[in-house]
Amino acid sequence: MQSVKPGDARVTACAKSARRLSARPARDLLDPPAVAVDLSTVDTLQAALTYHPRASHTVLAGNIANLDTPGYRSVDLERRTADDPSALAVTHEGHIAASAPADFVTSFDDGGRLPGSDGNAVSLERELSKIDANRARYSTAAELTTRRLAILRYAAGDGT
Amino acid sequence: MSTMDFFTAMEVSASGLSAERTRMNVAASNLANAQTTQAAGGGPYKRRDVMLQSVDVPGTQSTPFAQAVKGVAVSQIAQDAAPPRLEYDPGHPQANAQGYVAYPNINPVEEMVDMITASRAYEAGITSMTTAVSMAERALGIGR
Repeated sequence: MQSVKPGDARVTACAKSARRLSARPARDLLDPPAVAVDLSTVDTLQAALTYHPRASHTVLAGNIANLDTPGYRSVDLERRTADDPSALAVTHEGHIAASAPADFVTSFDDGGRLPGSDGNAVSLERELSKIDANRARYSTAAELTTRRLAILRYAAGDGT
Repeated sequence: MSTMDFFTAMEVSASGLSAERTRMNVAASNLANAQTTQAAGGGPYKRRDVMLQSVDVPGTQSTPFAQAVKGVAVSQIAQDAAPPRLEYDPGHPQANAQGYVAYPNINPVEEMVDMITASRAYEAGITSMTTAVSMAERALGIGR
């Protein structure tokens, strides 16, 4: 920590905030709010970011690639959280609850349109809009992760 | 870690692009030879047709949804068995004993429609590939 001289702008700011705090009930000072940095959020975001949209995009790319393949039915991934009986139970207050089991991903014919005379049932517009929606979801997760990490960086640095 | 990354998606898109390009080439070949009365092997040029089939993508077998991801491949380029179009032109060097010339069984309108659908599908494949690239780049920007 570098030394701070009186009259420094930061000291003034501290003094002001101390005055503000003193106006609040004493209980708030004794019982500070929980620390906002929760690393598990980053893990969850990372899972959201990496696995599902990526696999989903690959499957949708396959639908686009098979736009003219006779007999091809379009496929999509469905996201499911299954009840996992093997999940670790929390039997003590010191235990940390295991994160939800991995999302089960299943494929299915999504019936985008009735098959044409060649048996192909891929709807180009539908697949492209799904690709765009998937990209938007991915961008959202990426943006959230970026901000989450920025908060951590802010906390890990000395507030600069 | 699953091996199913954006490169797999790009590989799938690439298989589609390559298949559509083949369709485009074949349609161009059919159009170019719409009046070819003497092709290799004798007789008029015969219309070619691209047969596509969906194929498994290497590297996805270990994933739980391997059956969902399919690339595409050209299984064969077949010759159209439709009979040639006969035109009466006794002066033509290729005319038969009855004075008829056999022209290829090609309908230019059909070929143009094929070409347009191949071109649109190619564009869709490019869009899908660009999306994979932009998602990968988005991921690279996370730590910045």
